[in-house]
Amino acid sequence: MPLIVKDHTWTQNQNTVYICVPLKGVKTANVHVICTDEYLKVSFPPFLFEVFLFGPINEEKSEARIGNGVAVFTLQKRRDELWEQLFTNIDKEKQKQVREQAILKVQEKEAEKSKAKAARIRQEKKYALETMMKLENEERDRIQKMKNEECARATADLENWREKAEENKNRQKPQRAGKHENKPVYQKTERANVTPAITPLHNNSNTTSGQRSSKQKPKDLPAPRSAGCIKISFTPRVFPTALRESRVPEEEEWLKKQAEARRAVDTDLAELDDLREEERNPDWLKEKGNKLFMAGNFQAAVNAYNLAIKLNRKIPALFSNRAACHLKLRNLHKAIEDSSQALELLTPAVAANAAARLKAHVRRGTAFCELQLYVEGLLDYQAALEIDPQNEALRNDTDKIREIIQGTTSPSSS
Amino acid sequence: MSAALEKPQIIAHLQKSLNYTVFESRWIPCSAKFVCMGNFARGTGVMQIYEIQHGELQLVKEIEKPKPIKCGTFGATSLQQRHLATGDFDGNLNVWNLEVPDSPVYSVKAHKEIVNAIDGVGGLGIGDGAPEIVTGSRDGTVKVWDTRQKDTPVVNMEPMEGETKRDCWTVAFGHAFNDQDRCVCAGYDNGDIKLFDLRNMSLRWETNIKNGVCSVEFDRKDINMNKLVATSLEGKFNVFDMRTQHPTKGFASVSEKAHKSTVWQVRHLPQNRDVFMTAGGAGNLHLWKYEYPAQRTKKGADDVDMGVAGSVTLLQNVTLSTQPISSLDWSPDKQGLCVCSSFDQSIRVLIVTKLNTV
Repeated sequence: MPLIVKDHTWTQNQNTVYICVPLKGVKTANVHVICTDEYLKVSFPPFLFEVFLFGPINEEKSEARIGNGVAVFTLQKRRDELWEQLFTNIDKEKQKQVREQAILKVQEKEAEKSKAKAARIRQEKKYALETMMKLENEERDRIQKMKNEECARATADLENWREKAEENKNRQKPQRAGKHENKPVYQKTERANVTPAITPLHNNSNTTSGQRSSKQKPKDLPAPRSAGCIKISFTPRVFPTALRESRVPEEEEWLKKQAEARRAVDTDLAELDDLREEERNPDWLKEKGNKLFMAGNFQAAVNAYNLAIKLNRKIPALFSNRAACHLKLRNLHKAIEDSSQALELLTPAVAANAAARLKAHVRRGTAFCELQLYVEGLLDYQAALEIDPQNEALRNDTDKIREIIQGTTSPSSS
Repeated sequence: MSAALEKPQIIAHLQKSLNYTVFESRWIPCSAKFVCMGNFARGTGVMQIYEIQHGELQLVKEIEKPKPIKCGTFGATSLQQRHLATGDFDGNLNVWNLEVPDSPVYSVKAHKEIVNAIDGVGGLGIGDGAPEIVTGSRDGTVKVWDTRQKDTPVVNMEPMEGETKRDCWTVAFGHAFNDQDRCVCAGYDNGDIKLFDLRNMSLRWETNIKNGVCSVEFDRKDINMNKLVATSLEGKFNVFDMRTQHPTKGFASVSEKAHKSTVWQVRHLPQNRDVFMTAGGAGNLHLWKYEYPAQRTKKGADDVDMGVAGSVTLLQNVTLSTQPISSLDWSPDKQGLCVCSSFDQSIRVLIVTKLNTV
């Protein structure tokens, strides 16, 4: 509940009212004034002073001075008359209305002020931007003008030179014979002088070149060179393609993978203990498997490859060869799995592993066809053809599969 | 800003759009005319002669030939005759008199495959000795021709028996400072650069810069070998100092990366041998200046002289088109005037200013 201040003082004359409100020790920063044409409220917590004015005042022309412990209000009357008293007696309802109106009015005023301020700021920003743009345009124009001048000058120079060149050409033809005797000294020095040319003397250079040629005419040219042949060899490269054609990053990746595969040996298997030394070597096992395959003992070959794969999962040849064994054993699904695994290990696709990829594709293709999945088989055969387009047998097989798919011949194993 | 404008400026003075693919453009010596060589869409070769008149390019003559023309040079002809030597897609070397283009002055089936590059020396009053033309081809051979000798080359640089051949992409003459001395430098697509000495008929030096060599040029043909610039794929070019050859290390070089794409061509300014322009695959041109080191030779570990390479600074660059600029030629008569052609079927005449203060 604010404390109502009653110990204010006021004086008046014909057109102004002076009200003096003591601030009772409250800081000037905390004083808040609302003033409308018929109402004045000064709130400085915890005090409050409000007055419903006797007559209307001109709020815009009035002023308030707050300081030194007092607030002095100088209110301009609208009507030049002496007021009997400061307050008017109006009932509570009216008072409430006036208060509300006052607050509304103040709010509106504030809103207007802030809008005006925003508009002003926008205006200023726009102006700043426009001046910036103007400056930059001017700068650009200036540079362009300089460039154009330069261009025009060079063009004029060129025209001049060209005309002079034409004139000289027409002039020098009859004069050529006469001039060359007294010019050879100048010519020699010009030839020896290889530092920047003497540019203004364009026409001189034309005439001297004319004379130079005339001087050479009587001189005999040396005989044609006796025939010779120089044999050359080209820088060798590890890969047969030139650097720009090679796919060096992929090739390096492939080489790295191979090196890693060689090194990766899974040695923490319990069964290893009872294996002989040589049986721990995946390469030896691969060789063994190959020999068994050649001998026709496919199951044993599969076992050998299994062990090798357990030791080293990264050698694609093992999977590829195991796929071949499964194919022979008619374990078609296993064959497909193994050749897929082999192909995965054979990425990135480079020239070095083309042969291996070819084999894997053919094996997988065959397995698909045996399972009567001809479309997948065709895909693999086509991939194989891409690697080796010259292979006749491959081409024939692919054509056969295509025919089967198109249903022109009865299904037969390929 | 004014400091920036004291650098040489590259101004695109004239531009003309053509209706054929143009491979090479060359100034006709002692004139304001140049020749463009290329092939029409119908598969025939074309040579067009343009003249700069009143601020625009006028077509003076158009010559159509059965085979597309890849390259040409005026290097081996005298100033009065001004015959153009061209190499075409079929491996033929022809020397034309542009006034009477119906039949060539000299013609020979130089190579089995397309002639990729051609250069001439001994003509135009530059250099001593017999005028000769060198051609490099996709069949891996480099052959030197003399127009006075029919049908057989004067020198043939070919791969040994059984050697896989690599395309020769560029050739250049150099070191032709007297009647007998002459050198040919050839760049191949596997990055080989080979320097042949024609006086001794031997391979004088070779090196490999890993990426295919698009263009080689000596800074001057008619002096003791001074500098050689070799540009390659992948935006690199090397400048070799050719004055000092070390028996094992060869020539000293400085390498620079520019253009962010293939550097198609390098051409030295005829009036200043330390200024050259490179043309790139993104349609841009860079103008460079070579600065010599304080000492051009130094003693190596085994007390043998070896060369010291200098440094290269970029003077100016400009982007003219989106397609590679395949050929560039400075005018020998007016400093700063050059013509360039690019694969967007257009030729541009450029003026480079302030080269006399460089």
